[in-house]
Amino acid sequence: MASLSQLVDNVVVMSFDLDQPLVTIGRRAENSIRIDEISVSGQHAVIEAIPNAYLDGVTDYYISDCNSTNGTLVNDLRVSERQRLNSNDLIRIGWNEFRFIDDSENALEQTAYILEE
Amino acid sequence: MMCFAVAGLSDAGVRRAVNEDAVAWRVSQAGDQALLVVADGMGGYAGGSVASELAVAAVLEVIGPKLEIPDQDPMTMDDAIQAAFNLAQRRILSRRQQMPALAKMGTTLVLAWIRDDEAHIAHLGDSRCYLIRGGEVQCQTRDDTVVQKMLEDGSINERDVPKVPFRNVLTRALGGSSDVLASMRRIDLLAGDRLLLCSDGLTGALPESCWSGLLGGEASPAEQVRQLVDASLANQASDNVSVVLLTVL
Repeated sequence: MASLSQLVDNVVVMSFDLDQPLVTIGRRAENSIRIDEISVSGQHAVIEAIPNAYLDGVTDYYISDCNSTNGTLVNDLRVSERQRLNSNDLIRIGWNEFRFIDDSENALEQTAYILEE
Repeated sequence: MMCFAVAGLSDAGVRRAVNEDAVAWRVSQAGDQALLVVADGMGGYAGGSVASELAVAAVLEVIGPKLEIPDQDPMTMDDAIQAAFNLAQRRILSRRQQMPALAKMGTTLVLAWIRDDEAHIAHLGDSRCYLIRGGEVQCQTRDDTVVQKMLEDGSINERDVPKVPFRNVLTRALGGSSDVLASMRRIDLLAGDRLLLCSDGLTGALPESCWSGLLGGEASPAEQVRQLVDASLANQASDNVSVVLLTVL
């Protein structure tokens, strides 16, 4: 399963499992990941977990910004449309930093193979 | 009648000890037909190179003799191309059954059969055929990969491609797929056109935008192929790099 690790000065202070099809991030209490901090919008961003249509057992994670005031950034680039996350991507929600981790990626990285039918 | 100059080269690359690609090319005695083949094998141990060599050998066996037959019906040519893919598949599956160490081997296959001004292009997998016309590089094949399908359904964009962890996963190839119906197309060639077949080691190490500078001028086809492969090696090509290039004179 994938997770988000919140970083403060590059140290992990909190970890959130992405164990729901839709994880919401924002300042309001109803968010799955609540960040009660002024730079974060009420509903700031969402992360969707979607089974890959072509690879059995693989889940893709996509982040979208919900028109937040201070924006969502992935690896210092502003998220303008739904974007697929890769393990170790650095996500900024307002002034808050998170590392996206998906351990299952390592197995896929190796060499080329064919989907056996 | 159009005349052709053909050259090709395959290199293991700077990180791999083994070259699992195979290439071949033939020009008919009359000079009016040519055949170009690239296969990129996979499957560990010796499997990759066995699969790609079986595939190239099957193509030469089926189509090679037909290069000497003039005035063939284009449909007959397409049937022969599919017969070559089918034979390659049978040989690979048979070898997979005989030798457990090769049980997972497979290969891509791309070929171009040129007769006068018409090229028949066929492929399975992610080895590609490009048409280079007037400095413009146009890909003539669509990769059989998970990445290509996700680009087409909008899940990812071009910027994501180098980063997705399953960028090496093929949806179709010889060996792994039960359906080996080749994707085919025909294109008309003009004097000065070039057709380039390559494995993904070339595209992975050397962007298409860099090719034109290496493919022009007075250099012979063999020298041009050498320049492309050398440039990809200078970029630390991590995969095997193979190129077959045809120039229409």
